[in-house]
Amino acid sequence: MSATRTILALGGGGFTMEPTNPLLDDYVLTLSAAAEPKVLFLPTASGDTTAQINAFYDRFGGRACTPKHASLFRLDELDQPLEDVVMAHDIVYVGGGSMRNLLAIWRAHELDRILAAAWRRGVVMAGLSAGAMCWFEGGVSRSGGSPEPLPGLGLLPGSLSVHADGEPDRLPVWLDCLRSGTLPGGWAAEDGVGLLFRGTKLERAVSSRAGAQAQRVDAVEGELVRERIEPDLLGAHGAPAPTMDDDVREYRRVQRIRGQMRGRLHRFEDI
Amino acid sequence: MSTRARTPQIVALGGGGFSMERDSTLLDDYILSLTKARRPRVCFLPTASGDADHYVVRFYRRFSAGCEASHISMFRRDQGGRGVEDDLASHLLAQDLIYVGGGNVVSMLGVWRAHGLDELLREAWRRGIVMCGPSAGSLCWFAEALSAFHGAPRRVGGLGLLPYSNCVHYDAEPARRAEYHALVAEGMRSGFAVDDGVALHFRGTELHRAVSSRERAGAFRVQRIAHEVLETPLETTHLGKHAETLRGGRALAPA
Repeated sequence: MSATRTILALGGGGFTMEPTNPLLDDYVLTLSAAAEPKVLFLPTASGDTTAQINAFYDRFGGRACTPKHASLFRLDELDQPLEDVVMAHDIVYVGGGSMRNLLAIWRAHELDRILAAAWRRGVVMAGLSAGAMCWFEGGVSRSGGSPEPLPGLGLLPGSLSVHADGEPDRLPVWLDCLRSGTLPGGWAAEDGVGLLFRGTKLERAVSSRAGAQAQRVDAVEGELVRERIEPDLLGAHGAPAPTMDDDVREYRRVQRIRGQMRGRLHRFEDI
Repeated sequence: MSTRARTPQIVALGGGGFSMERDSTLLDDYILSLTKARRPRVCFLPTASGDADHYVVRFYRRFSAGCEASHISMFRRDQGGRGVEDDLASHLLAQDLIYVGGGNVVSMLGVWRAHGLDELLREAWRRGIVMCGPSAGSLCWFAEALSAFHGAPRRVGGLGLLPYSNCVHYDAEPARRAEYHALVAEGMRSGFAVDDGVALHFRGTELHRAVSSRERAGAFRVQRIAHEVLETPLETTHLGKHAETLRGGRALAPA
């Protein structure tokens, strides 16, 4: 079976960083062929904070999709084994936070293996920041405080550096790592930029903000060779965002609130 | 050969303490009494909860009045705030008590190992810093543990400071006893099953005593002998009767 393997790596942006700009998240939904894709959010890198989970449902709850999240700190909330949950989805969306913790926790639960298998089967992978760098051979993480190179899952060749505009101390560390060979050549993406990979090739760069940019950088005989990438601005001339029937939207909103209340009560008692 | 001033101590709670017992400080007071410090330095590790804010707040509510309380977040090391930012080692090794919160033990151990915290905690224990915790904060100290999500209960490897297996919340789930016995029958090492409200106090790797905050809560030694699994109740001291002497006049925050 040769399913299309798809990863959308965001330098920053989406529902956690752009509460009033849904362009990147709407684009994520278009990457699945399903009319109402099932979207699984993995907030692992944040420690599964309620804030991230609520922001996810706020963004996707009213859209043409079925949103769900999976917490690796509260696995008892899931009604199926983790592998079945992942494989039942069309899109997996990975939140930002600590890349070191993200990968350590995934590996402890063998989710790294499950996600790689899901990607090969055609489940769309999307994510920002730590949730974007994790798919590459390496990235620059601030999991320990100051920026440092960290290996990723290696599904995509090369390295990725994120928040190229928003966090000025990260980019120089990445460039130093490229120069010294600690990290392979790769991409730096600013907030609001998404890099779309089909298979292991960059197919397209998109953005939610005018002027946001990405670059490809390689070290050639110790010299850094930079190539600017001009992303397509979303929303300017594309299909309108998918919409949903108002009653369905309201029903899902109520379901969501009920689910969150159950989760909250449970969490207080379980620890 | 170096001399060790203090005996390594672990207090492993089946459940209870400030995490679960809003109206009882008995177990937490017992643990604090082991530090012999007038104003103990207590550091909370909420890793197993994903550093849940509400859990951190509850820790400070219980401990900040009578202790030098701090916590370490493994998820917000890039941000400022009240968490300890740098030098984990010097901070942890300066404590009298390290209190590990409950949650998911597999996620917690993954994070600890990724940051080298497993080795640091081992060193802290060797130096005589009292280690304690409920649930995941108990399982982690043992060589093996039963961790039950949905589906089959799993054998999980812990830090191995205590060469036994461990099962917590023993009275909370009806299926827990059969699951634990089955794993021990299959070859998991012998160990301890502990109800909510009961704490096992180990000095070195030997069980020193079992104490409880509740009248009817218990703990059990579960062993495989020949091909049989044998469960023996442990003598458990109910702390309620001794609360006044344990408090020893220390000013602690009301629950």
